[in-house]
Amino acid sequence: MTAERCREWRESLGAHALGRLSGEERAALEAHLEGCSDCRAELDSLASVAKLMPLADPERFGAAPQPPAALADRVVAAVAAERRGGRRRRIRFGLALSGATAAVAAALLAIFVFTGDGDPSPERHVVFGSLPPGLEISATLEPHAFGSEIHMYVKGAPPGTLCRVFLRGRNGAQLPAGSFRYRWGEGSVAVLSSAFDLSETEAIAVRVGDRTFVAPVGGDADA
Amino acid sequence: MPAGGLSRERDVREAYAAHAGELYGFALRSLGDSGLAEEAVQETFLRAWRAGDRFDPQLGSLRTWLFAILRNVVIDLGRARAARPSLAEGGIEPSVEPLDEALLAWQVEEAMRRIGEQHRRVLIETYYRGRPYGEVAEELGVPEGTVKSRVYYGLRALRVAMEEIGYDG
Repeated sequence: MTAERCREWRESLGAHALGRLSGEERAALEAHLEGCSDCRAELDSLASVAKLMPLADPERFGAAPQPPAALADRVVAAVAAERRGGRRRRIRFGLALSGATAAVAAALLAIFVFTGDGDPSPERHVVFGSLPPGLEISATLEPHAFGSEIHMYVKGAPPGTLCRVFLRGRNGAQLPAGSFRYRWGEGSVAVLSSAFDLSETEAIAVRVGDRTFVAPVGGDADA
Repeated sequence: MPAGGLSRERDVREAYAAHAGELYGFALRSLGDSGLAEEAVQETFLRAWRAGDRFDPQLGSLRTWLFAILRNVVIDLGRARAARPSLAEGGIEPSVEPLDEALLAWQVEEAMRRIGEQHRRVLIETYYRGRPYGEVAEELGVPEGTVKSRVYYGLRALRVAMEEIGYDG
């Protein structure tokens, strides 16, 4: 069967998968399908999707529902709280897992388990206190051979605000770690780097517009 | 550097930015309540964070892993809700669809949102509204054969979109 010939048949396959061909058209198409395994495979592929279409509610084909913007902050705060707590927090809806659910969860997790609990992460999470209302700044610093990698999270500055980041060493020296612009209404993360090793870094400073905020960089990862 | 797990807080932020919309969409579809859906998303990221170093990108995408966790969270939340009979009496009757069916339904709906407007339109008119191809063709000002071919390419696009969001049937 030539590809061009099949093309004509193919365009009927959707209507066929959805049961909308007239008797005559259907008979002709089925005769073609008898002798064309490619078209049969294509029909199978369409039919597997067509059979799921009744599950969907066409009222929901409009814009996808979005979580409220505040949920992002709540998730990050919940993770940060758990990290600071150092041990597993009791979850709020904390219904004890029944044996069956636990088994399902264990089976699903087992698919991904290759390593056990690793060593504490060497990164440092830094929180900036005393910020004006509406402004959020935090940073995560990671040690590297070249020095430190810095992930700056900023939210709530006027769009377009120039932000400049500095690291201050324990010896009092200060090195610029780069700059970025805060663009969006939502939180954004900028990735920067500095020649300072994490171990010799005492504080991180960020100048947002014309205001400078400083936060100490702790000595231990989970201090 | 770990490849893609959630061992650091910034990983959580990045994963949230990439996947929270879909996770929330499915949670809302299966739980039928926006407050519960938010709780489910938050719990999913917390569990992912706790198990962050166990994620192995060679075994599946981060998205797939998060959906597997969310699925368990939804089951647990469903049980918690079943233990609170007052909810059903309060006039709010959350959806009770079986979970796997809810996932497929959400996948079809999400895929429908992703395909082109022309394709979505003919599938809605001819399939969901059951209208004759000729009538739809006239309304759109195109030959009937064009409607038929749009149904075909629309179904193909729907399949591709569903595969993108995890359908593997």
